[in-house]
Amino acid sequence: MTSPDTHIFMELAIQQAKLAMDALEVPVGCVIVEDGKVIASGRNRTTETRNATRHAEMEAIDVLLEQWQKNGLSMTEVAKKFSNCSLYVTCEPCIMCASALSNLGIKEVFYGCSNDKFGGCGSILSLNLGDAVSLNKGFKCAGGIMATEAVLLLRTFYEQGNPNAPKPHRPLAQQATT
Amino acid sequence: MIVHIPDEPPHDLHHQPTVSVFASSINPKHANQIVRRLNQIAPLEGLRHVKRIRKKVLEGGQIELSVVLCLAYEADNQLDVVPPHLQEFISSYQLGPFITKVCKYEATSKEEWQEQCKFWPTSYHPRTYNIDGITGFSEEDSQSVLKFMQSAVELATSGGLVNVVNAAVIVDPSAKQIISTARDQVFAWNNCKDDSCYKKPDLLSSHPVANSLDPQKPLHLRSSCNHLKQSYTGVACLYPCQWAEQQSNSQISYYCHPLRHAAIVAIESSAARDRRLFPNDEGSKEKYLEFDHESPCMSSPSKRQKTVEDDGKLNAQSQTSNQVEDNDKLNPCRQTESNLLSARPYLCTGYDIYLVWEPCTMCAMALVHQRIRRIFYAFPNPKTGALGSVYRLQGEKSLNHHYAVFRVLLPEEALHNRSAETKETGI
Repeated sequence: MTSPDTHIFMELAIQQAKLAMDALEVPVGCVIVEDGKVIASGRNRTTETRNATRHAEMEAIDVLLEQWQKNGLSMTEVAKKFSNCSLYVTCEPCIMCASALSNLGIKEVFYGCSNDKFGGCGSILSLNLGDAVSLNKGFKCAGGIMATEAVLLLRTFYEQGNPNAPKPHRPLAQQATT
Repeated sequence: MIVHIPDEPPHDLHHQPTVSVFASSINPKHANQIVRRLNQIAPLEGLRHVKRIRKKVLEGGQIELSVVLCLAYEADNQLDVVPPHLQEFISSYQLGPFITKVCKYEATSKEEWQEQCKFWPTSYHPRTYNIDGITGFSEEDSQSVLKFMQSAVELATSGGLVNVVNAAVIVDPSAKQIISTARDQVFAWNNCKDDSCYKKPDLLSSHPVANSLDPQKPLHLRSSCNHLKQSYTGVACLYPCQWAEQQSNSQISYYCHPLRHAAIVAIESSAARDRRLFPNDEGSKEKYLEFDHESPCMSSPSKRQKTVEDDGKLNAQSQTSNQVEDNDKLNPCRQTESNLLSARPYLCTGYDIYLVWEPCTMCAMALVHQRIRRIFYAFPNPKTGALGSVYRLQGEKSLNHHYAVFRVLLPEEALHNRSAETKETGI
């Protein structure tokens, strides 16, 4: 399931996470890929919006929904689009995001570090597996991709969360290799 | 009637699950040594609520002490003899192992705990936080809960019976004030054509509850049903994948968003209200750092949820936050506006949400993120309900916030049109 491209896309997701970090947000970022091309990106915006549901995934999803409907796609076409999309996100989607991704019928999710507190792709719940009752198909899922870099960003953020602190420096993240 | 939906599915009080363990009576003189040693060589993983030692007062005042040695099964197989690594220990203290039963899960109530101790003593830790209502509602509070639920039901049915959706009402219970309201907006944006609508579904910001509620119109609570007669296919949380089947032919003016369930929209609108009422927060001295996003397990815990430039200010704040609830221990991030004009909670800390249907997993987790204090819902969601029906997020220990969940028992007729409701109440 993983390919050399996986790391290229994850690198882009990490770039998004760094943007979040620069904006004093929890550094999580993502990109959505269709046919080998990045069609949307997102980063955490919970602090800015004062809305704790504005995770990177939700941001990227909203970009697509708005765009596709502006382009006149019907809902069935939107559903078909999602079923052809892959998400690359630096941290395992939380229960809310995993549920949302499953409802949208996304094809697959690649994530960096796992999320032992809120993870919805195996850590706490396994919403990626779908369920028969609600006709939810779930999605394919692979974790641990460039997890070290993803954790490092989060750790740096936690350790230097004080805005008074000097600009966070991310020595190892910059050594990220693909 | 308002029913608390506990963190764990309740066990039959008299048939609580048990597991077999090896135990032995011991010489009281050795009790300390034995327990210390056992905790090293045979810790009771997964049975932390079980007391290692049982004390029995025999006839004549003699005291008998017994100790749990280890589980009496391995990979589901019942063991006949104590595992080898304990044999030496047993012979050194001349113990006589026997098999007995202990309760498998920690007690969730005092009654359960009392029953458990009939097998073998366990410890019982009542919730360390107390959320109003778990131990019952006063008459006044029940009335208030019912009124807010009624406004949620009215909102849900405002499109007519064929068009019933889920609805959410976020309330500040201390001021009995509605903070935000929302209907499912999966398909409801058909009236919006421009971006202004996209950004902000302009809902009522805040108004005294008395304006919107008619005290003469209490909801009827004669019966409650788990299985509704109708399917209510418009309710987003019940059919979260249904959007994909929607055949719309006028796409341009028909904005659809599969994830805009009522709770999500209500959260968004309460966040918008917060930004509107407290616009200066952005560049102010304080910055919230929302740590609950997706932090992996790390050495520095997510307790530091806020950083404040001036430490002295933090202290001053903690003294002025007189509205802090008991559950504040879980939410160390509550803030009082520095100008003290109005208490501004962190996200939805201290707020309640009323939902006509039990929320799906996505919405229930969104409400964890936004730190809602209590959730009230009227009808269960057997397909995707995350607060008791399929999952039980209020009992997921790993989450960084826990709300209390209540079901307000309503008859299905409450969803029928309002004229019918008026007729009923006229009786």
